[in-house]
Amino acid sequence: MRTLCVWFPDWPLADIEVEPDRPCFVFEDRSSRVSGGEAQRIRAANVPARRAGVELGMGRRAAEALCPTALVLARDLAAETRRFEQVVLVLEGLIPRVEVVEPGLALVSVEGAVLYYGGEGPLVERVGKELSNIIDHPKSGMRIGLAEGPFAARWAATSADQGPRVIEDTAAFLSTLDISTLEKDELIATFRWLGVSTLGELAGLPREAVASRFGYPGLHAHRLASGEDHAPQPRSIPPHLAVEAFYDDPLETLDQVAFSARALSVRLMLGLRKEGLAPHRVEITAEAAQSNGTGSANGTGGANGTGGKERSRTWRSADPFIEATLTERVWWQLRAWVEQGGVPGGLTRLRLDPSDLSGDGRQLVLLEPVAGLDGTLGWQGYDPARPEVERALARAQALVGPEGVLQASPQGGRMPAEQVLWYRFGEEPGVAERDVSAPWPGATPGPSPALVPPELVPFDIEWDEGIPTRVRLGSRWEPVLNWAGPWRLTGRWWKGEPHADRYQLVTSAGAFLVVVRNGSSFLAGIYD
Amino acid sequence: MTEAAIAVSSRPRTGDLTSFDPSNFDWASFVLSPGKIVGLEGPAGWGLTRLGLSLLAAPSQVGTVVVIDVRGWFSPLAAWQVGVNRHRLVVVRCAERRLWAQVTAAVLEGVAAVYAEIPAGVGENDLRRLAALTRARKAGLALRPLRGVLPPGITHMRVRASGVDWVGPDHGHGRLSGRQLSMEVSGKSIPLREVQFADSSTGVSSSSGVWRQVPGKLAPSPRTIGV
Repeated sequence: MRTLCVWFPDWPLADIEVEPDRPCFVFEDRSSRVSGGEAQRIRAANVPARRAGVELGMGRRAAEALCPTALVLARDLAAETRRFEQVVLVLEGLIPRVEVVEPGLALVSVEGAVLYYGGEGPLVERVGKELSNIIDHPKSGMRIGLAEGPFAARWAATSADQGPRVIEDTAAFLSTLDISTLEKDELIATFRWLGVSTLGELAGLPREAVASRFGYPGLHAHRLASGEDHAPQPRSIPPHLAVEAFYDDPLETLDQVAFSARALSVRLMLGLRKEGLAPHRVEITAEAAQSNGTGSANGTGGANGTGGKERSRTWRSADPFIEATLTERVWWQLRAWVEQGGVPGGLTRLRLDPSDLSGDGRQLVLLEPVAGLDGTLGWQGYDPARPEVERALARAQALVGPEGVLQASPQGGRMPAEQVLWYRFGEEPGVAERDVSAPWPGATPGPSPALVPPELVPFDIEWDEGIPTRVRLGSRWEPVLNWAGPWRLTGRWWKGEPHADRYQLVTSAGAFLVVVRNGSSFLAGIYD
Repeated sequence: MTEAAIAVSSRPRTGDLTSFDPSNFDWASFVLSPGKIVGLEGPAGWGLTRLGLSLLAAPSQVGTVVVIDVRGWFSPLAAWQVGVNRHRLVVVRCAERRLWAQVTAAVLEGVAAVYAEIPAGVGENDLRRLAALTRARKAGLALRPLRGVLPPGITHMRVRASGVDWVGPDHGHGRLSGRQLSMEVSGKSIPLREVQFADSSTGVSSSSGVWRQVPGKLAPSPRTIGV
């Protein structure tokens, strides 16, 4: 299937204002999905940063060591998706059924469009021209490739730095590519160890032998190397696997939409898991309460018979979607539509249609309980009661608000309040401000206080020649029975933070962690 | 981060939540059992929060656990230190008394175990309904009243703080490294006992021989929640 790929390698940098000669790079934090190694990898770097040696895929620390003065930014996929929506709309105006892989990367089958535009060359030229009208071409680095299948098209686009590239002989093109283009680290290492260094060499091996030695991943790699790309398993997709939710009261806030995205994604994946399936493609369809939105025209939908505006978009993934990745994509897409005014009057219907199903879902079911028990996979870990948990906590969120239902992950810091990174239940943890693996000399020793105020609270202490004698608890004074400290807490003097001293005070009413700064004392924790 | 543990809950956790037998109570398996309710009573600062969190450690190995945080001061660091799986810990902040029972009931519908602070003014009927829901849903529930004590008949086991000895500080020297918690424990089929828990930052210490049966009965408090 002839496939067109449009790729903007520097899409994360497209909306960032930085001086032309200042290095800048964007990293992606995958700590919630990566159990070993450095989770923060460079996703995009501008020309000055590349000149300094920063490469895509490099660890953040290594990049910062090469470029200490660089502007370092975390990737904001939701914002990128919102910006990318205009590209997809233009592309859909030319060719229907565009599939988004990630912000900055889209694929579309061009079988029919080639006939309409009079050939692949004119089609590619037209796409390039239309997209150049709306995109800052040099900054975002647009690349267009056309080849047989998504995999080859993607690598054709990767190599299209001198202009659009149309691959006639896909098998010959692929045979010259390095084995690392498979992007499966363990598999690549084994192939190299066996002396297989290009896709052509891999394609030359007997498929049965590769399948016998490496199983499904090896078979899939052999298909890619042979130019056959991912072959959907020839099984019918039962219609009941699609999931749909109707909202009598239209969802009007982003929070509500986020929860609906999450709930429906989980429902879809649970249904597929029972069948031992996992989707490589999911079509997201949303219907608005009104048809007179201010957003751009829809490429695939349009107003339907009920008067609501219907929009749909297909997302694709080389690896089968799991709950976390699907939830992310549904959320990005809905947010992009909502923020562009494309869901006027609120969301009344949401539907997820899986397609391109593989049998990987069966393997996930087998592996997840094992992986989940060691805690390394986070909320992707297997929890037999997960749907009930989702529903229960969604009800709690409805009662106390999304800010009231939280999870936490550790981060670096010297005070207990600094060592916790809070985030809403159902969302990904944010990027830690302080590295948890750093040594943090002078950190408050454990055990940690069980009660820690979000901000330091003024706390009255009576002193006698530098020795704490009494503390005020409400309306009464409690004598200090024992104490430890002080430990100096050195502030960031370059930011005007004063030094402070920490004490642990023991009274008959409990023990307290206090901070004394500029003659004033503050409560930092209660050892309850 | 230094690992810490409540000593009596420091043995390897098997995740077997059905082995609880009040008539043959093993303190080393001091865990929340499905359908069981533990009450934690006593003043703030006497170690009840960390003790209550240690009850969530075993359930968190097999399912999601929730802390209902009324004061907004709960620190997950303490929970992680006593063994709660951080990926399965959810904190629900609910300062409003009128919502508290609804929120607690909502989370009990789906999670394995809940540690809930009770704000002042929650009615006894609400607590009894929550107890019934806990039994029906086979969840574990640890209740920590911030004021007063729990009405009779709510809990399967009641833990009341009776004293605390701090270990480590020495008039400016040393640091807070642990504490001995003295608790009076009683409940259905559990005779009144005084139990000492070692809560330390240095790891595991034995709890053998530190508990003894207290003669006589625990005098009921005239002041209960909702009264």
